[in-house]
Amino acid sequence: MTRSLLAPAACVLALSLPAHLFGQEELFLHVTSPGLQRVIVAVPEFERRPGADAQGSVTFTSTLRKDIDEAVAIALLADERVRMVEVDAANQVLTRQRWRAVGAQFLLQGTLSGAGSQLVVEARLFDLASGEVAYSKRLQSGTSLAATMAHTLANDLVHLFTGRPGPFLSRIAFVSDRSGSKELWIMRWDGADALQLTTHRSIAIGPSWSPDGQWLAFTSFLRGQPQLLLLKPTEGYLKPISTLPGVNTSPSFSPDGSHIAFAAGADGNTDIYVVPLAGGSPERLTSSRAIDTQPAWSPNGRQIAFTSTMAGSPQIYLMDAEGSNVRRFTVGDTYADEGAWAPDGVRLAYTSFIGNRFQIAILDLRSNARSVVAAAGNNESPCWSPDGTMLAFVSDRTGKKQIYVTDPAGKPRQVTTAGNNLQPAWVVQLQ
Amino acid sequence: MPRPNRTALVSGVVALLIVTVAACSRPKAVVAPEVSPSEEAGQPVAGADRGDATQVQSEPVITTAEVPAEAVSASDLPADIEQLNRAGYLTDAFFDTDKADLREETRTTLAANAAWMKAHPTVKLTIEGHCDERNTGEYNLALGWRRAGAAKAYLVSLGVAADRIATISYGEERPFAQGRDESAWSQNRRAHFVITAR
Repeated sequence: MTRSLLAPAACVLALSLPAHLFGQEELFLHVTSPGLQRVIVAVPEFERRPGADAQGSVTFTSTLRKDIDEAVAIALLADERVRMVEVDAANQVLTRQRWRAVGAQFLLQGTLSGAGSQLVVEARLFDLASGEVAYSKRLQSGTSLAATMAHTLANDLVHLFTGRPGPFLSRIAFVSDRSGSKELWIMRWDGADALQLTTHRSIAIGPSWSPDGQWLAFTSFLRGQPQLLLLKPTEGYLKPISTLPGVNTSPSFSPDGSHIAFAAGADGNTDIYVVPLAGGSPERLTSSRAIDTQPAWSPNGRQIAFTSTMAGSPQIYLMDAEGSNVRRFTVGDTYADEGAWAPDGVRLAYTSFIGNRFQIAILDLRSNARSVVAAAGNNESPCWSPDGTMLAFVSDRTGKKQIYVTDPAGKPRQVTTAGNNLQPAWVVQLQ
Repeated sequence: MPRPNRTALVSGVVALLIVTVAACSRPKAVVAPEVSPSEEAGQPVAGADRGDATQVQSEPVITTAEVPAEAVSASDLPADIEQLNRAGYLTDAFFDTDKADLREETRTTLAANAAWMKAHPTVKLTIEGHCDERNTGEYNLALGWRRAGAAKAYLVSLGVAADRIATISYGEERPFAQGRDESAWSQNRRAHFVITAR
């Protein structure tokens, strides 16, 4: 498959453009992956040795190719180009030159073997410029896990090229009303295998993952007043985190997993609090009479972004993690909420009100440059993929609220259909 | 988690259960014939005499007629909390977009509510803060909380005891009108008054 390596620069529109110009080209790539240079990898079909399970081999091969094709940082060398290369087993240098001549930068070669229900994958990635082996791995598992083996290999490639975890075993927790009440659900990042996590028949909202992927913090009306609960999705048990009187909402884990920041308060006020998970009382960080909500812990743990109405309209502020040094972050928006840190810690996606609609905006802390993507409908609740190359968000463009995930070209792809689906929370891997 | 008391239950979303819990505490001889007129007179209804809310909940109708005489004399209000709420003694307060400030007519509404509360000193209520679907869900929980708090604070400033008023925010989670236009949104930006005890 070939893919345009550079999305049109016009896809990022300045905030000052009138609303009727929105909705033409809807590509997020330049805001999620500015300056992206895709690595072109040739993946000729892995050699299948006698004994390798046929169905497992097919599943592995097709999954691996699909994954690499979906990786934002990697481009798969087109099949017709792969076929152009004549492999000369006696002359490795010449063969490498042939691969490079058709545009490949790396070559992923491998074999499939095994016996009975076991599949063995051996893979090597060659840097075609130097001829060195950049990566090699041997995977062995039951044939029923052939797809997982492919996902693991593809994740390794993404990690190799980006330094960040690949998305292929990642999942998205979200809120859905498809069962009749707002419950927590989880699905694969591409929308497959949706599972209902809660059946409280109450209101469950605001899911947030612990960094290790073991716990989901969320707000529940199960006991009347909205409280913060922790859910262990793999085991299904709940424990309360904060039952302060009044509201307890919008949890965000510290990057080391030791604390949760959240919004709570009595008598109509909401402030940002932090509670240690090991036990202990919540500590209040803000003390304005305004709405303070939606804390988001920065990836390095030193700062917390939050929404406050202290200047009238909701705007995003930053403070040090101890609650000091509060400063306003968004200045050009009439409304800014739902701050979400990119894994790089230098960009923040948020929900802005522009042209009478909610839109996803991204602010770069280094340059203070703000980008808004021309998107259809109202768009909110941005959430980054673990490698920071993709965004999940919620749009009502179909009339119902659905979750969208950007594809390798940066174009949103709808991944939910039943009911309304909200508040995506992406996790590298369920533990 | 301790078992919630009656007020806490009422402030939740289990109003029906509350009615039946209240019914349980009343003499069964009064309850039985009203609940199930087809039963032979004097025969107790199954479950009604056990003080078991779950059992009683399945019974069809509980009317004011079952209220003992002394309860009626204690108040001029209907005994049934649901009926009391349907009677419209208290008026909901409405808000501007993204605001929790009390409008002038809202203050008038709330002053009438406060006067009624002072005239009925045993009544307790929950003020629910609600929002339209615009703004984000989490922000709306905070905004609804603020609206409930503003309404409560005004009633308290007019002399209603603070411990008679519970507050809760439902944000945009329990809309009154389902439309996606201003006529629906304006209905959903409200502080909703729910009587929880008479």
